[in-house]
Amino acid sequence: MDPGSAAPTPLSALGAAGGVGFPALQAARARTAQRCDVARAALARMPRDLDVAVVLLGSWGRGELTSGSDDDVLIVTTGARRPGLQPAMSELEPAFPGGATGAQGTFDDVVTVEELATIGLQEDSNRVLTRRMLVLLESAPLLGADVHRQVLARLLDAYLGGERRDRRPPRFLLNDVIRYWRTIAVDFEAKARAGDDGKWALRHAKLRTSRTMLFAGGLLPLLECHHVTADDAPAVLLGELLQPPTDRIAASFLRYEAVDAGVRTLGAYDRFLALLDDPERRAALERLVRARAREDPTFQECRRLGREIQQGLTALLFEREPLRRLVRQYGVF
Amino acid sequence: MPRRPPSALQPAFPLLALGGRLQTPTRPLRSALLAMHHPLGASTGYMDFSRGDWAGMVERAVEVSTFAAELGALGEDELLGLVAFLEGTPRLPFHYLSVHAPTKRRRLPEPQLVALLNQLPAIVDSIVVHPDQVTAPPDWRALGRRLVIENMDPRKTLGQLPEHLAPLFAALPDAGFCLDVAHAGAVEEDMDVAHRLLDAFGARLRQLHVSSLRAGRGSHVPLYRKDEARYARVLARCPDVPWILEAPPPRR
Repeated sequence: MDPGSAAPTPLSALGAAGGVGFPALQAARARTAQRCDVARAALARMPRDLDVAVVLLGSWGRGELTSGSDDDVLIVTTGARRPGLQPAMSELEPAFPGGATGAQGTFDDVVTVEELATIGLQEDSNRVLTRRMLVLLESAPLLGADVHRQVLARLLDAYLGGERRDRRPPRFLLNDVIRYWRTIAVDFEAKARAGDDGKWALRHAKLRTSRTMLFAGGLLPLLECHHVTADDAPAVLLGELLQPPTDRIAASFLRYEAVDAGVRTLGAYDRFLALLDDPERRAALERLVRARAREDPTFQECRRLGREIQQGLTALLFEREPLRRLVRQYGVF
Repeated sequence: MPRRPPSALQPAFPLLALGGRLQTPTRPLRSALLAMHHPLGASTGYMDFSRGDWAGMVERAVEVSTFAAELGALGEDELLGLVAFLEGTPRLPFHYLSVHAPTKRRRLPEPQLVALLNQLPAIVDSIVVHPDQVTAPPDWRALGRRLVIENMDPRKTLGQLPEHLAPLFAALPDAGFCLDVAHAGAVEEDMDVAHRLLDAFGARLRQLHVSSLRAGRGSHVPLYRKDEARYARVLARCPDVPWILEAPPPRR
């Protein structure tokens, strides 16, 4: 589904069940859909190889575009890396006039699905892990929806190929999702200790909100495999991963009858998104250094919203059956 | 099968003193309902014996939980001392910290009280206020999302029902809600008011006050077993917010 689709979603259903909406999230989805339409129109005449997808990541991929969002794009092919592959990143300029960008060069290149499917050991660098996880957990196709789907299916096959046990979360993928979450957290602190203090507060706020939601949005579908056979697991996971993370999370709150907590959790995330969409407050976060964070009201507001999100997700995972047992069985060891 | 002696019980929480090493808990939680919830915290409001000794009261709150606490400045004369204590940037372990605003011995005009509350450092997540203290809502907007309104027990003239609180929340759109479960249970035995309050203001819920009430006097006492059963369905709707104990943890 398009990340900004206006069709009924678990997110809108949760908002309706709680008697509230999530105005910032819904506005961000609408903005994402509108910007996707504009971008596709700008690229309408551009040639595209049949094995290539132009994939949106980050807030584009989550359907959460705000006024300050980066344009995070990755070109993925199910074929071989080759000269003349179309489109090249430089050809996306009409769709992204500011230039598609990403931190540490993570999003500014072409990648093959086989490179992404290199899981574990030395070849699986931090960069490969990050790209693979973002494609799996928060991506949406700008062009080449069929190829994007094939990419997800291939990555799931790479993880699940050796898993033949029914009604068990797939360990290989589960461990990698957990590894990715811990890697984000460790790298956050490593950057700060290395003196890379620029945007520390914004990164911290995102770690406690959108990164936390991303992790939970990957964890919950994997735990759902408890309900299905090994044969059905790939299709179930593919269906889940084609939805935005907030829909996966909202669906879990609804499924496990935790509407009250779900409304508060997504409500806190909605407030965070509204805060990020306020240029003045976002700029204040971008300028804030760690030493001043304790007394900064915007940072403290982000901290509180992050705590509320974590409390809600923790309650879902630890106080609802069978999730409580599944986390106990698979979440630590 | 013989019952295990109390000494064999595991502490309910890791304990962390403000200074020094981890200590043995004085009161491990025996209530399964409370022991299962996270995060749980103590209010210093019940620590009458230590009134004014903020460091000492925090130490006692830490004995219940290192995760959440409420610092009660129920008398206005206590608030200055609390502000001074917090301005000294004590090394508090809590992930969630609320302050209960004064309800007694009020002398300051409302705008000055709000200004004083607004001086509480940013580590204070919530400032819990009784609705009868808010006579001029616009003055309280300065507290933003930290302002949290609590429902009242039947001894007060207003503040028990959703329709009493709705105008206040309409005037204070960022304000949160503290459900005092015992207060709601004192209004209607079947807890219907608590459910209606959650229906109306659940999206704003920031914390609970959990205790029983002494019959006829309205003072908060440790949670009775019968109230655990009576509150259970309400508490089940609030698994994600801190539960603040307004009386010592039950020892039964």
